[in-house]
Parts: sequence; C-alpha cells; structure tokens
Amino acid sequence: MRLTTPRLTKPNVTAMEHTPIVETHSLTKRYGSGVLAVNSIDMSVRRGEVYGFLGPNGAGKTTTLRMLVGLIRPTSGAATVVGRAPGDPRGLQKIGALIEAPGFYPYLSGRENLRVVADLASVPQKRVDEVLDMVELTSRAGRKFGTYSTGMKQRLGVAGALLKDPELLILDEPTNGLDPQGMAEMRKLIKEIGQGDRTVLLSSHLMGEVEQICDRVGVMSGGRLVTQSTVEELLGEKGVVVKTDSNDRAAEILVRLYGSAAVIHENGHLHLKTDPGNSLEINRQLTASGVGVSELRPFERSLEEVFFQLTGEKQGS
Amino acid sequence: MIATIRAEWRKNRFRPGFLVSSGLLGALTVFAYAVSWYQATHQVRGERFPTSVLTLYPDQLVNFVMGAGFPIGAAIAIVLGAIFTGSEYPWGTTKTMFTQGPGRLTTWAGRVVTFAGLTAILTLVLFVVGAACSIVVASFQGHTLTSWPAMIDVAKGFGAMWLVFTVNGAIGLALGVLIRHSAAALGIGLVYVLAVELLAVHFIDTINSGAYKWVGNLLPGQNAIALLQSFTSPAFGPSTAPVVSAEQSVIVLFAYFAGLVILAAGLLRLRDVT
Repeated sequence: MRLTTPRLTKPNVTAMEHTPIVETHSLTKRYGSGVLAVNSIDMSVRRGEVYGFLGPNGAGKTTTLRMLVGLIRPTSGAATVVGRAPGDPRGLQKIGALIEAPGFYPYLSGRENLRVVADLASVPQKRVDEVLDMVELTSRAGRKFGTYSTGMKQRLGVAGALLKDPELLILDEPTNGLDPQGMAEMRKLIKEIGQGDRTVLLSSHLMGEVEQICDRVGVMSGGRLVTQSTVEELLGEKGVVVKTDSNDRAAEILVRLYGSAAVIHENGHLHLKTDPGNSLEINRQLTASGVGVSELRPFERSLEEVFFQLTGEKQGS
Repeated sequence: MIATIRAEWRKNRFRPGFLVSSGLLGALTVFAYAVSWYQATHQVRGERFPTSVLTLYPDQLVNFVMGAGFPIGAAIAIVLGAIFTGSEYPWGTTKTMFTQGPGRLTTWAGRVVTFAGLTAILTLVLFVVGAACSIVVASFQGHTLTSWPAMIDVAKGFGAMWLVFTVNGAIGLALGVLIRHSAAALGIGLVYVLAVELLAVHFIDTINSGAYKWVGNLLPGQNAIALLQSFTSPAFGPSTAPVVSAEQSVIVLFAYFAGLVILAAGLLRLRDVT
C-alpha cells in the first residue's frame, strides 16, 4: 500500500502532543443480559500518538471502541473524544473509524461506496480517489464490494476511515483476515499514517504488529484495562545475560563497571542491566580478567510475553 | 440533512430492490391492462359485471391504475421499506452511517425523505406505464387519444397512490428497524398486509353485530382501500361506497406514516448499534 497524502508534518507543539484526545473515566458497559463487557476503565490516548489497544477476544476492546464513537451507550462513566462526548456529530466529523468488519453496500462498487460515505460526511468527492490511491485500490474501485476479497474489503474500510482526513483514526483489528503480505502492507500503512500529527487508536491482538507500530499501549483483560504505558515501559529494561565459569568473580568485575544495582544473580547466570550493544566490551573485560565466558546474549522481553503475563492467558493456547 | 439525502439517494437509486420493485409494478400494470382488455373484448354472455373497454382509455387512467394500489402495490412498498432499513444491519452499514457526522435522527430523516422520493418514482412508473398502456389500447380500439383526465384529478390520484405506497412502505421501514433484518421484516409485513389485517377486520365486524366496526376502519389497509375506491366512474360499473371518506382516510394514513416514522426514530436513537 502506498501512502501519498497523509499529514506527515509533526507539529512543533509538545504540550499539545500530551493533551489527551481520548479520555475515559470509569467507563462501564453492562449488557441487558448481565454481561459486564467493560468494567470501569480509565483510558487516555494522547494527541499524535499511535496507541495500541490490546486484549484477547472478548476482553471488551470492540465494546469500548463502539462506546467511543457513540454506537453504544455506556452504562456508567464518561468519555471525551476529540473534546466532545462520544457520538457528538461535531466530534464524529474529526474521527475516522473502522470498527470490526467494514460495513459497505455489496451491490455498489468500492468507489461508489466511498462516495456515499463522502456525501454523508460532507467530504469533497475528489477525496475518494485520493484515499483509494492511498490503499492502492484504484484499479479495482469499479468492482462491486460484494465481489471483494477480505483483504480488499479491509483496505476499503481503511480508505473509508481516512476519508475525513481525521484527527483521530480508530482501527479495530484492521489486519483481520489478511494474508501475511496484506498484514505487512497494512502495518506499513498504519505506521505511515501515525507519523503525522494524526492520532491512531489501533485495536489488535497481534503483538508483533502493536510492538512495531505503537508508541503506547493499553491492555484489556476481562473488561478491565489492566495496564497502560509506553511500549518501552511495558517491556522493561533491556539487559545482557552472562554465564561464566566463575559467576562470583564475573559479578565483581561487572559491579565495578556498571554498579551493583545493574548486576543480578539469577539461576546460575548473571543478569546485567545494560544496553546489549555493550556485549563486546563485557566479553573483553571478563576475558582479560581470566573469566571464561560460556554464554553472552541480549535479554529482551517481547510484548507477547508481557501480554500473557498481564492477561493471565496461556501462551500458545 | 441535505448531505444525508444526497448519500441516501446515491446508494438507493440503483438498489436492486428498488429497480426490481419498479419493474414489477410496471409489469403488473401492463398485465392488468392486458387481462382487462382481453376480458372486455371477449365478453362472456350473462356475466354480472362485464369489464368495459371504456375503463382502459386514457380518460380513465387515474381510476384504472388505482386498482394497483392495494394489496399488490402496498405489498411491494412494504418489501421495499423492509429491505431499505433491514438490510443495513447484516451489512454492517448502520455503524458506517452513524459514525460519519450527521446525528442518528438526521440520518433517519434523510432516509425517510429519500424513501418518500422513491415511492414517488414508483407512483410515476405506475402512471407512465398505465398511460402508455391506455394509449396502446385506445389506438387499437380506434378511440380518441386526446381525451385525458384533468390535471387536478391526475394530481389527486398521484397523491393518493403515493400516500398508500409511502404509508405501507413506512410499515416496512419500521419493521426493518425493529427486527434489524430484512427477510423477517418483509415476511411479517407481507403477512400483515395480505392476511392479518383482512382477518382482523372480518373478526371485528362480527363482534356485537358490527358494534366495533369503527375500530377496523382505523386500520391502514382499510383506509388505503377507501381512499383508492374514491377514484371511480360509471364506466367501472356499480361500486360499493367506501367505508371511510377520502378526507378521513388521508388523515388516518398520514397519522400512521408519522407514527411509524417517529416510532422507528425512537428505536434508532435509543438502541445500541452492536
């Protein structure tokens, strides 16, 4: 996918970047059946960031997103989206959303579907061709939506969300049903969109996708927002795992070099809190001191590991 | 609201359901003229109410096409209304429409106005095809083509037929919103217009020797029939007097239209889009 016209200029207003564009306070949704889909979440998405909204299926992500665009009314709590209450027409004019599967008319062509949306959103018709070009659907825009593949439908959905050149773009599982190449293209597109001053709220359960694209993440589990922070904070400090023929001697040397707080004894090896780029220097110092190094490798937790830890889900289940 | 009307028009003008409905109504009109013409020119001796060929000429256009209004035209309008709103839910287009900017009520108002425009086109199809058929019949029968109904009568007839289509269409619209599925909505709508109301009226008429007949006269189908029956002429032979006056039926039908539209608007406004 080629992104030709998104706003790529980062505004030089740091304070504005930290202004929340989405904010919720004790937002709760309980369905009539008694199911507590979203349980008192306090969420904050900052202007200009790409925010990853993670959680297993049924965690309450889509319900939350639907509440943010006014499709569902919360049972209690409040939310502000682009400075307005959810569903406020003035707010919706600044929001582009793709919630779950793209909803278009199967008997109309892709282009005609976007024209309908453009009419409704009071967007000039020439914008339709621009967004079709962005998602590389121009050549197939004349075909009926009902004949589109899943990937094409998803791309048209993203094009529809981009029509208003929105301040806030909400994408709910945009890579659903895409093949690996389609997923990579979609990831690239979202990354490029996120480089501008536009805020992207990306819901996904694909960790790699979120880890690569997002500045901050919120993790939902069982209707609760269990954590919300930057990806770096969530992953924790990077480090180096060191195993030698004399860990005590190695620890002495490394404490001298990096301080006592940086060296931790762990199950027969040392965990050194430092940039893995220092590995060569570490090896050189230890070897020079007569310590035999049998293992030296970078330590980095993946978002997936953190996610499973936070949600209590079992990896590979 | 202009934006929503523009969007609704763009998506519905080539909608298969609308094109099929228009085609079906046109075909039924041709069929009605063909059958009546055959009957009028192949009279069976001793028939009680023979069809007169006079009813098929251009000057009787308004009175003749009124026969298409109920129950066939009403059924077509219900189907169109049900698919107009009911199909939005399984396609997921409700959420697309409701997240673009105009409020839910504005979107609904645009949809209703567009639907009323489409029923006007259906009515136009009926009148144009009817006029074409009457010209064909008159030409073959050697009848004059210069005698047409007065413009005021055409306007009244057009308005009455549009109202019948629109009110029945509103039943379909409201059912589509209520049930959130077109197939079930149109099924219930058709059963109502083709059977339930007729049975209900029959039942009400039998209670207490017709003491509650007035209740039946408040139902939409009865008022549609009464309004359409008010368009007649001696050429059509003896006819039963409408149970409700044309003026009253117009008021009742408008009340149904308003009530159904407001009911659906309330549902749309209050319900979650899941």
